[in-house]
Amino acid sequence: MTKILLVCSGGMSSAIVVKAIEREAAKEGMEVEVKAVGTGEYNEEVKNGWNIVLVAPQVRHRLPVFKEVAKELNIPIEVISPQGYSPLGGKNLMQQIKGML
Amino acid sequence: MYKFFEMIEKLLMGPMTKLSEQRHLRAIRDGIVSTMALIIVGSFFLIIAFPPIPALAELVKPHIGKILLPFRLTMGLMALYASYGIGYSLSKSYKLDGISGGILSMAAFLLTSVPVVMDGTGWVLPMGVLGGSGMFVAILTSIFAVEVMRFLQTKKIMFKMPEGVPDSVARSFEALIPAAVVITVIWIIRHLLGFDIQTFIMDLFKPLVTAGNTLPGVLVPIILITILWVSGIHGVSVVGAVARPIWLVLLDENVKAAAEGAKVLPNIAPEPFFQWFVWIGGSGATLALVLWMLFSKSDYLKKLGKATLLPGICNINEPVIFGAPVMLNPILAIPFIIGPIITGTISYIAMALNLVTRPSVLAPWTLPAPIGAYLATGGDFRAVILVLINIAIMMVVYYPFFKAYENKLLKEEKQNQESTATL
Repeated sequence: MTKILLVCSGGMSSAIVVKAIEREAAKEGMEVEVKAVGTGEYNEEVKNGWNIVLVAPQVRHRLPVFKEVAKELNIPIEVISPQGYSPLGGKNLMQQIKGML
Repeated sequence: MYKFFEMIEKLLMGPMTKLSEQRHLRAIRDGIVSTMALIIVGSFFLIIAFPPIPALAELVKPHIGKILLPFRLTMGLMALYASYGIGYSLSKSYKLDGISGGILSMAAFLLTSVPVVMDGTGWVLPMGVLGGSGMFVAILTSIFAVEVMRFLQTKKIMFKMPEGVPDSVARSFEALIPAAVVITVIWIIRHLLGFDIQTFIMDLFKPLVTAGNTLPGVLVPIILITILWVSGIHGVSVVGAVARPIWLVLLDENVKAAAEGAKVLPNIAPEPFFQWFVWIGGSGATLALVLWMLFSKSDYLKKLGKATLLPGICNINEPVIFGAPVMLNPILAIPFIIGPIITGTISYIAMALNLVTRPSVLAPWTLPAPIGAYLATGGDFRAVILVLINIAIMMVVYYPFFKAYENKLLKEEKQNQESTATL
């Protein structure tokens, strides 16, 4: 089971991306748990045993702040490519996730 | 055009995103955002007290005082709640105890008030400044409180607890000296020397608040937000970090007038103005673009249009911005920036001429724009008409650029088909 945490501004737009990841993962027979949070909840949520953190491209300017905590916990963290952050970008995003594992 | 994007990235995006990530601004943003649920729920009691249906309005009239109480104790104390949130976030960012920082900030803010004795009630705290109008006071006193805390901590001026004392006990003792310093300093300035900190700070920021309510004051955030989004950065979260306190002061003045039953509200441009009349479907008013995509001859755009229609109605448009994409796409970036300038100006004029009621209610931003606009204006159907007009305008503005982009995609799709056919 791969646990993936998504961060965007309010946890709204990334909720759509959660669906895209789940659909793509099901296709490939990969077991995932995906959760989307807003930037405000990130600091608390990240401590709950996630395997990787993905940051939505529109809040990429906050990556240094997110990275600080992720580094302490040794969790790989990356900004999602703009192409991956789209309802039709599931495949693209899946590749990125695999690359991080 | 790509040179232009490069220039934006260098001149605008870097400094602006850095500014919005500045520790104190971040604490202000997070602190204020943490009070939003209270403000949204509280301001709905304003609609209940003044329902848009005349028969209903007659019915609730005798109970207005009681109905408005939740509103007065949430929205009316907005700055007080925010002072805790700001103090909490700022001390957390310094890795200090958040709760101590939040409580100390709240005390610092309250100490700038002068309680009075009322016959029969006892001591009473004037609420006027504890709402949105005192937001800047809350911000500065909270920063002062936490900075004092941090200064004393880094200089190691604190009570040392012996080993074995429970953490929570030790923490409460650690907060003693900062509390003593903060309380004494503000007490001396405000109550011994009689210097009115609240009026001073409010006067200091008044020009900024007044400017925020002018037409240029509306257009500058619109342009900055769309340009940031075109570079793929969440424009509202960056610009809002600076502008939201101003928007809240403007909203507070409107809300106070509305609670007194005023027909014309003082301000045009609190945040709901942008949310419902300009950002229809999300920043850049992309709902109009999504509507065109639904009828596109390009497979890709049609598919994307279907996938982004529902989120678009709820004002979530990252899927369009990154999917179409609008980001770094010179063709779609033009209407994305120009359109909102036009609809923003038209909406501003409509409200300046009192053709549409000015906004006083903060509704959840994921509501469809016509509903949100109706609620935000306390139930003015003309607001719905303005929203529909703005959608139509945006469709006109997007159309030629959408067509140009569609043609480009159609050519590419055709080439792809031909190349796969020859394989």
